[in-house]
Amino acid sequence: MRALRKGFGNRILFCCILLWAVSIAPAQEKLGDVTDGSRAVPVHLIPLLDERGEKITPNDEMLMPFSTRQTCGFCHDVNRVSGGRHFNAVDANVPAGRIGQPWILAEAGAATQIPLSYREWPGTYRPGQVGLTAWKFVELFGRHLPGGGPGEMFEESDNPDEVMRAYVSGKLETNCLTCHNAYPGQDQAEYAAQIGRQNFRWAAAAACGFASMTGSAGKMPSTFDPYMPASMDDPKLVPPMISYSKSVFDDKNKVLFDVPRYIPKQRCYYCHTNVDVGEVKSEKWSSDEDVHIAAGLSCVDCHRNSLDHNITRGYEGEPAGPNVPAGAFTCKGCHLGDATAKLPSAGRLTAPVPKHAGIPPTHFDKLTCTACHSGPWPGDIAIGVKTSRAHGLGTHDSNKSLTMLPHLYYPVFAKDENGKIAPNRIFWPAYWGSLSGDAVVPLDMDTVRAATARVIGKDALSKSGDWPSLTEEQIAKILTSLSDKVPAQSKAIYIAGGRMYSLDQGGKVASAEHTAAKPVMWPIAHNVRPAAQSLGVRKCEDCHSTGSPFFFGKVLVDSPVQGKGGVFRKMRDMYEFGGPVYVRVNWFFKLLIIAVMTLLILHILGDLYRRALLWLAKRFR
Amino acid sequence: MMGQTSGAKAKERPAPARSAETSEFFQRFSLQFRVQHIFLFLSTITLIVTGIPLWCLGRPGYSWSQAVVNAFGGIEEIRYIHRAGAAVLILVSMYHLYYTMFTKEGRREFIELLPRQKDVIDVTINSLYFIGLIKHRPGFGRYTYYEKFDYWAVYWGCVIMIGTGLVLWFPDVAAKYVPWLTYELAAEVHADEAILAALALFIWHFYNVHFNPSRFPGTLMWWHGKISPEEMMHDHVLEYYKKELAQMKSKGQKAEPQDGAAV
Repeated sequence: MRALRKGFGNRILFCCILLWAVSIAPAQEKLGDVTDGSRAVPVHLIPLLDERGEKITPNDEMLMPFSTRQTCGFCHDVNRVSGGRHFNAVDANVPAGRIGQPWILAEAGAATQIPLSYREWPGTYRPGQVGLTAWKFVELFGRHLPGGGPGEMFEESDNPDEVMRAYVSGKLETNCLTCHNAYPGQDQAEYAAQIGRQNFRWAAAAACGFASMTGSAGKMPSTFDPYMPASMDDPKLVPPMISYSKSVFDDKNKVLFDVPRYIPKQRCYYCHTNVDVGEVKSEKWSSDEDVHIAAGLSCVDCHRNSLDHNITRGYEGEPAGPNVPAGAFTCKGCHLGDATAKLPSAGRLTAPVPKHAGIPPTHFDKLTCTACHSGPWPGDIAIGVKTSRAHGLGTHDSNKSLTMLPHLYYPVFAKDENGKIAPNRIFWPAYWGSLSGDAVVPLDMDTVRAATARVIGKDALSKSGDWPSLTEEQIAKILTSLSDKVPAQSKAIYIAGGRMYSLDQGGKVASAEHTAAKPVMWPIAHNVRPAAQSLGVRKCEDCHSTGSPFFFGKVLVDSPVQGKGGVFRKMRDMYEFGGPVYVRVNWFFKLLIIAVMTLLILHILGDLYRRALLWLAKRFR
Repeated sequence: MMGQTSGAKAKERPAPARSAETSEFFQRFSLQFRVQHIFLFLSTITLIVTGIPLWCLGRPGYSWSQAVVNAFGGIEEIRYIHRAGAAVLILVSMYHLYYTMFTKEGRREFIELLPRQKDVIDVTINSLYFIGLIKHRPGFGRYTYYEKFDYWAVYWGCVIMIGTGLVLWFPDVAAKYVPWLTYELAAEVHADEAILAALALFIWHFYNVHFNPSRFPGTLMWWHGKISPEEMMHDHVLEYYKKELAQMKSKGQKAEPQDGAAV
C-alpha cells in the first residue's frame, strides 16, 4: 500500500513538472512570423475562414464574412500584432508616448468638440467619461479605426442591451487588410459605410474588394442571430448578408490576396490625410505632398515595425522598441546619423546631409527640425485644417464644408515636452461638464444632448456643420437644466473658447480662466517642405523680425459663444515667449525719432527764417 | 556779408585780423581729426546704403529692395559689404577713444566738446533769436551747441549700432553672454537707431555743414580743415578772439575790447 501511494505521488509530481515546463516553454511561432530573409513576398493564396475558424466556400448555404483574425491568424500571430501601436490604445500598460491627434467628438447641436483618447494624453478625456462604451466608440469612430483595440472589447460592457447589440454587430477585429491589401479594390470608404450600419463583423470582408454587402445589423432587433437569420416581417429590414465574387476562388477554394511588403501610401492616407482650409480649400493638384514622398520614399520607409507592429513614430526621444533602435528613423537619424556610432550612418535612404551653414547652433537646442521644415509656411494667422480622423475624410458621406466641426488650426508654435519649440495643430475644446473644487469632468453626452436639444433648436444648426451661435442666455438655460444632473458638491459648467462659463449666485453667466479650457495641441511632422522652403532660408528675419509669424502670428480662439469669436492670441504667447519688450522699445524709438527730428527741423526752420529776415532787411533797405 | 550779426553794431565791427598761421585761413581741424571723420562718414554711408535694403528685403511694400540687393550681387555680398563698413566703424570708434584719451590734441578736443552750462544758455538765446525776440546771436566758442550735439549723437549712435550690430553678427556669442539682448530686440533697436541716425545725418548735419545758405552748395572743411576768418567770426567768435588774444599775448600786445562783440 505504501509503495502504491509512493508511485502515485511520483506520477503527480511528474505531471506538475510537465505542466510547468509547458507553461514556460516559448509559444511556437507561426509560419508567417519567421522569415528566411527573402525580400520577395510570399504569395498569399489562402482559404477564407470565418470568425469560428470554419472555411468559407462560395457554395456555402449561409455565407459568412471572413475573419481577418482567423484567416490571417492561421499563419500570423494576430494577438502579437494586436499589441501594436495602431491597436493598443486601450491597453493601460502601454506608455502613452508623445501626444498625437486625439479623437474629437464634435456635435454642433450640443455645441461640443471634446478631445477623447484611450491614452493618457494631457488635455484629453477617456471615452467612458462622456458615456462612450467601447461599442459606441467604434460605432462613432470605427470608420477610421483599423479594427482591434476597443473593437474587440465589447464583452466587457456591463450593459446587457449593449452585449446583445454587440452580438448582432459582431466585433470589429484587427483588420490586417486596412494596411496590407494592395489590391486597388480595397475600399476603406465601404469599410466606414458598413461600420455606420453597425455591420462590424462584415466590414473587413465588405471592404476587401471581392465581396459585396447588403443589409444593416443596426436595423436588426437585439435578438437577431447572424448565423441563423430569421426572415424579417418588414421587407425594408434587410439583414446583413455578404456575397463573394465567385471568380476569386480557385479550384481549392482559396483566394489570392495581394499582400505587399511595402504598404502603399494610399492605405496610410485614408486615415492620415490633412487638407488646409483657409479662405479656400487647398486642392490636391495644387498642393504638394511631403518632400519624402516626392523623393520616392513611402510612409513605411520611415515608419517601420517588426511583427509586434509597434510602428515607429519618428520623434526625438521616442522610446526604443526591441527591434527598432530609437533615433534611427527620426529626422536626425536619417539625415545626420549617429555621431557616436562606429560606422557612418548619415544619409540613410539617400537622405541629404544638411550643413545648416550660417545657422547659430542655439537653434538646434531650442527648435525641433519640424519647426523650420514642416507644415505650411506660417502665415499671419494660423490656418484651418481638416483631417481624416477628425472630419471623416474619404468616407462616402463626408461633409465637405470648410467650417465643419471640429475646428483645427495650424501651424501653432509651442514648446514640446522636451522644451523645444515645434509646430502643432490646435483646437479649443468645448464641452459641458461639472466643476468640483478645481477639477472639471465632462458630462455624459446623452445628458448633454437632452439638455442642449431643448435650447439649441435645429434651426440654429447649419448644414455646414459649423457652430451654432450660443448666447449667454442659452448657456444659462442649459447650465440651469444641467445643474441637477451633476454630482453633489459640484456645479455645471461649459468650457469653450479658452474660458469656463458657469452660473454665478445671481443666476447670470460668468466666465473665468481654467486649465481645462486650455487648447489641446499636438505636434506635427508632415508635410515636410523642401529645404529651399525652410524657415530662415532667406534670412534670419524670416523669424527674427517684428511682424514675423513665428513670434507675432495670430491664433484664432475658436468659440461658439456670441461676441467671443474673432479673438486672437499671439503666437509667442503659445510658448510663453518673454514679453513684448521689443514692442515697447520700438515705441520708445518711434517717439524719440519724432521728438528729436521735430526739434532739429524746427531749429533748421528757425535758422532759415532768421536768414530770410536778414536778407529781406538788406534787400529792401 | 551773409551771416553777420544784424544791426549797425555789426557794421562797426572791425575787419578780422588775418591769422598768423596762414595768410588767410585758420587751421580748424588737424589731419588726425579729418582722417577720422572721413573714415567715419565713409563707413556710415556704406552702412546706411547697404543696411536699408537689407532691412526692407522681404517686407511687403518694399519690393524695390530685391533689385538693390541684386545690384550689389546678392544678399551675401551686400551683407559682406555691410559688415565691412561695420568693421571700419568699429575701428574708427576704437581709435577715437584712444585719440581722446591718450593724445594731447584729442584730450583737448574732448574737453572742448563736453556740454556746459553755456550751451544751455546758447540754446535759449538762439531760439529767442530765431523768433525775433533777441537781436543778436549768441557768441560760440570752438564748438557750438549743435556741433556738440552732433558729436554726442554719434557717440550714442555708435554705442547702440555697434552693440546691437555685434549681436546680429554673432548671435551665438551674444546669446551666451548677453541673453537678455535677444536677436529680435537687437534687430529692432538697430533698425530704429539707424533710422534716427540717417535722418539726423542727412537732414540736420548736412544742413549745418553743407546746405545752409552761408555754405551752400557745401564746404570742404572736412577735407582741408581750414576756416576763413569771416566764418570764424560768424560761427565761433569766442574762439576767434581767444586765438587773437593768445597771439597778442605772445607778441606782447595789449588786448583791446572790440565793439559789437557778442556776449
